[in-house]
Amino acid sequence: MATQKTSFDRDTGLQVRMLGTMFLLGLLYVAFVGVLFAAGASAVIMVVVVGALTLAQLLFSDKLALASMGAKEVTPEEAPGLHAMIDRLCIQADLPKPKVAVADTDMPNAFALGRSQKKATVCATTGIMRRLSPTELEGVMAHELSHVKHRDVMIMTIVSFFASVASMIMQFAFFFGGDDDEGGAPVLLILAVSFAVYAISFFLMLALSRYREFAADRGAALITGKPSALSAALMKLSGAMESIPSQDLRRAEEMNAFFIVPTSVKGALQSLFATHPPMEKRIERLNALELQLQGSSTASLAA
Amino acid sequence: MGFLDALLGGKKKLQGVAPDRLFAMTTAYIALETELQITSAGSAGIVFQPLGTGDFQQILTEAEELLKGTAAEQGSTLESADDEFGYRWLVLRDTDFEDLVVSLNALSTELQGGGYGDRLLAAVFAFEENGRRLYFIYNFKRGAFYPFVPAPGDKQRDNEREMRLKAQVASELPIEPELTRWFPLWEIPL
Repeated sequence: MATQKTSFDRDTGLQVRMLGTMFLLGLLYVAFVGVLFAAGASAVIMVVVVGALTLAQLLFSDKLALASMGAKEVTPEEAPGLHAMIDRLCIQADLPKPKVAVADTDMPNAFALGRSQKKATVCATTGIMRRLSPTELEGVMAHELSHVKHRDVMIMTIVSFFASVASMIMQFAFFFGGDDDEGGAPVLLILAVSFAVYAISFFLMLALSRYREFAADRGAALITGKPSALSAALMKLSGAMESIPSQDLRRAEEMNAFFIVPTSVKGALQSLFATHPPMEKRIERLNALELQLQGSSTASLAA
Repeated sequence: MGFLDALLGGKKKLQGVAPDRLFAMTTAYIALETELQITSAGSAGIVFQPLGTGDFQQILTEAEELLKGTAAEQGSTLESADDEFGYRWLVLRDTDFEDLVVSLNALSTELQGGGYGDRLLAAVFAFEENGRRLYFIYNFKRGAFYPFVPAPGDKQRDNEREMRLKAQVASELPIEPELTRWFPLWEIPL
């Protein structure tokens, strides 16, 4: 379909950063595997054990997560509106129908689970359904369906595999004690390497997770064609509407002196530790998408 | 969606429109009518996401004008309606089934030509069997049809009749093989 115009351009910058992060993680893990093999048999056993655990996580984590959220699957009769909304989004996104679950809690949240498109579950809380307008909820569910479409659960589980190995080694370091005189790498070195791998991969994984959130926002905008609906939802959920400060500026200035970390530095630290990008950034990008959408139309009107 | 697309966090655009198999409905209808006594309800429609952009409105208006012109010649009517999910329906009414298919195809071609083919959700054909409504839904992205038979009661569907319909028209119509993609469309304004 050569004539087909795209509503949105590909976000090359985002994809470059995503690939860069994955490359660094890969590099780190390859080095780690090298060290593990040098460490000898007990390390290899550790890898096998964690491998089995990861597999189990892929197979069962969705049920566990649903249970821990108190979510239960709903039939089309129980939640006709939500089902009908997801049905249409699935046609648009070219996805098979996922399971639909609802968690009865006032905390506004939605999430997607499952290792593959066929085994996926999307869940919304009663809190989010009550707070958002249908269009906004549609944006949020499209975001979750994008996670399913992009296979984010699978990718993040695989990516976290070696980080889990490293953390296991740190926890069970005493198992390696016996290897010292058999010519394996010294225990301390393995511990140090494991710690480094764990620490570095921790931040890389968080970065990757943030990039994938951006990608899912973009996917949602593609599916619904309404980037602004999702940004409105995000604003509502982040409490941005209510967060216009009520405190006097002079009082806030006084308080600032007592913070150990200045707010700006604190913000930077927080963003390094976050699994999700800051709300303002996400809204900013969605606004850019809306501009693109509207812009492309005025361009062709002028032509 | 390929491995690389998944890795990179998604495709640049939505799945486009699959090779057009809409016209298969014309031949399938002959079988439906003669062998199964299922007749056209005289209406069909397409459903899509209206975008809030200037040129989308323009393309839509042009398509509607064009169709209203030909519709008047053929003696058919065109209406548009928005449903509770924010989707727009363009509904055609015509006693001649072939005209319905041709007009629906013209509508979808017009939207695709304007670059908005990926916004098309489905085309829906309404039929009647012994006074009971049944539908065939065409998924543009998959290029396949599936039957949809609402049953009495709130949002109930007659899966048994749908499966039988599938078997009855499978030789005439490209049917969606995955049952998980037989998405219902409630409150069809046909």
